[in-house]
Amino acid sequence: MHALSCLLVLGVGVGLAAQSQDFGRAYSFAERQPASAVEKVIDRVLPSIVKVHGASGLATINSYATGILVTEEGHILTLDQVLLQPDRTRVVLYDGSVHQAKLLPSDDKLGVRLLKIDPAGVNCELRPLWPGEDASFRTGQFVVSLGNCFRLAEFSEKVSATFGVVVGRANTALRYRMADSKYDGDIILTDACNNPGHYGGGLFTLDGRWIGLNLRLLDSKETNTMLSAAVPVRDLLPYLDEQIHGKVREAPVAPHAPAWLGAVLFDQAGRRSPPAYVERVVKDSPAAKLGLRPDDLIVRIDDWSVRSCKECGEVLTKYAPGQTAKLTWKRGSTILTADVTFAEEPK
Amino acid sequence: MACLFAACTATDAGAQRGVDPDEFVRLEPVLQAALQQAAPFVVTVETFGGTRRVLGNDEDIDGSPPPRRPLPDLKPKPRPDEDEEDKKKKLPLVAPGFQQSQGRTTGVVLTADGWVLVSRFALNFDPTTILITVPGRGTFHALRAGEDTSRGIALVKIEAADLPVPQFVPPDEARVGQWAFVLGRTFAADEPTVHIGIVSARRRQFGRALQIDAYTSPANYGGPVVDVRGRVLGIAVPLSPSGRNAGVEWYDSGIGFATTIADIGALLDRMKEGQVLQRGWLGVQLAQSHLGPGAKIVSTPKDGAAAKAGLRKGDVILAVDGVEVMNGPHFQMLVSSRLGGDVVTLVVKKDEAAAPEQVGPIALLDAPWSEQKQAKDAEQPASFSLPEKPEGR
Repeated sequence: MHALSCLLVLGVGVGLAAQSQDFGRAYSFAERQPASAVEKVIDRVLPSIVKVHGASGLATINSYATGILVTEEGHILTLDQVLLQPDRTRVVLYDGSVHQAKLLPSDDKLGVRLLKIDPAGVNCELRPLWPGEDASFRTGQFVVSLGNCFRLAEFSEKVSATFGVVVGRANTALRYRMADSKYDGDIILTDACNNPGHYGGGLFTLDGRWIGLNLRLLDSKETNTMLSAAVPVRDLLPYLDEQIHGKVREAPVAPHAPAWLGAVLFDQAGRRSPPAYVERVVKDSPAAKLGLRPDDLIVRIDDWSVRSCKECGEVLTKYAPGQTAKLTWKRGSTILTADVTFAEEPK
Repeated sequence: MACLFAACTATDAGAQRGVDPDEFVRLEPVLQAALQQAAPFVVTVETFGGTRRVLGNDEDIDGSPPPRRPLPDLKPKPRPDEDEEDKKKKLPLVAPGFQQSQGRTTGVVLTADGWVLVSRFALNFDPTTILITVPGRGTFHALRAGEDTSRGIALVKIEAADLPVPQFVPPDEARVGQWAFVLGRTFAADEPTVHIGIVSARRRQFGRALQIDAYTSPANYGGPVVDVRGRVLGIAVPLSPSGRNAGVEWYDSGIGFATTIADIGALLDRMKEGQVLQRGWLGVQLAQSHLGPGAKIVSTPKDGAAAKAGLRKGDVILAVDGVEVMNGPHFQMLVSSRLGGDVVTLVVKKDEAAAPEQVGPIALLDAPWSEQKQAKDAEQPASFSLPEKPEGR
């Protein structure tokens, strides 16, 4: 019994000694043999994950985030945040080396930005990741999420790996802090938690495919709960191609007049907007052609839920005159659905 | 020394080798299959309108942040004129600190002829219109039937036939530690969301629910908790021991509840008739210092069932429906599983010298949850604590 405890104490002592020798020196997983699918993914992608440090000042703004190396020329993809300021943005590679980064133009809608470091100043092998041909994902797929949450990794330390599942795909109204989010594409929901600093990190499947770029912790307006989510990388390809390979993207839709339905809603302009009951229908309007009647309740436009008069107006701004959508409304206890082609509001 | 260290690491690697390295790779298709099995009976619930002030304030229903408002008066003035009915209207239905948004929630088909189980949480606004969307079948107008507030579930009826029906697992067949997947159909219409976890405990909430560690939140309340074969273990709902809709404050915490369905057929029939089932209330406060046998009464609120049946301070309850009462917590377990309207027969010892006598049958009343009680319960789940020193034994 005594001999055993002696041995244990000795073991711990030796362990500490070995750690203190190693501490502060660049280290790698090169020697270890990954023992599971999860370990394999982590070992393969870790060298491509970088720490991003930027401007700070306000207590509510973190000065750290994560990025992913996408080319051997030193392009790094990350989430566009306030901390990314010209001359103040630095990138820490997996060997612990710190590099000044240039900012490339961001994509306002997607909320992402490319950084660029000078590859001439890099002494380690750059191991970029690129969104593969098959960056698809499925609900119920297991994922590993990598990022520098809470700035726990410094210098050459590995960023944190977390494990979870693809909870689902969502296209839902989002909010960041008090402001509505501009992003209106699909997001990947996951239960591998996004914490501050994890933002801009990556989401990977167990077969090692890169499927998502971690978003900030967002609120869903549908549920009023916080979501851990990622932007699907397949949606980022056009931006990457434009910035890195100079490929011209399809021009974004020019500003347009809001879509007009021609149904006047029973809105009392109170703070709490009532459900979208039709009060009257304008003659010869799309609503009239559809046969909408007073007292009908508009409940959905395409897949967008219309819970109030205010929301009806918000959803209509997503459409342009001439566009067609599937309108769902309730008359008595009957649910009716038909395609409607929006018009421009007559002057 | 270096040698010893090497030996340590070798042991670690050995321990790793005992684990299936592709455990999760193998679990993935199992999860996918369960998802596919269950997806057809997971429906979307949308509600519109409703005047109930769920939030205790006039926050916007679409989840917009509320305007800044002055700090609440910490010393509320007593309002003696208020009658019971007024009090009921003011009950906060969700826990303080959480603002409910009137967004989509989830439901589960109960019968092929159109009965649908939803979360009571989804009806907090007392909506004027409820719509149910069944995948591949379209949207239906739903009529609200009864509910069980103690279980956090409600029933609605749609005019549909041949709906896909799940298989419900009897609660005693669930095993602590088995996989539990929670499905929701709140964010995307074409496929459900899934959260994974295990069954943490059985027969929680006085026998009404399973506890699970998968994340539950308004994103999947009302959705099914299924096993690896896609059979329904329960319906995910916010619950707390106070028995009303609190429990939302535990969202995404790993403490989740799934109301079991297979064992409450008779209650579902009552709910179909439109009955509102609530937790039963006997109306006794127990002496925490009385360690048994039996449960000793310290007070009986005058409008409670116990007071009307003649129970008084100092009485010791020795048995409930023929089951001998060990102590106060045991008595609470025996009675808290009952609903309002249920009948109990007690054996009570009125004083030291008297012989035990039978009291009842007593019909329990609906629990009169007060705002104060709910707020207190939200902070401190109902429990018994041992007294510092025993008194008067």
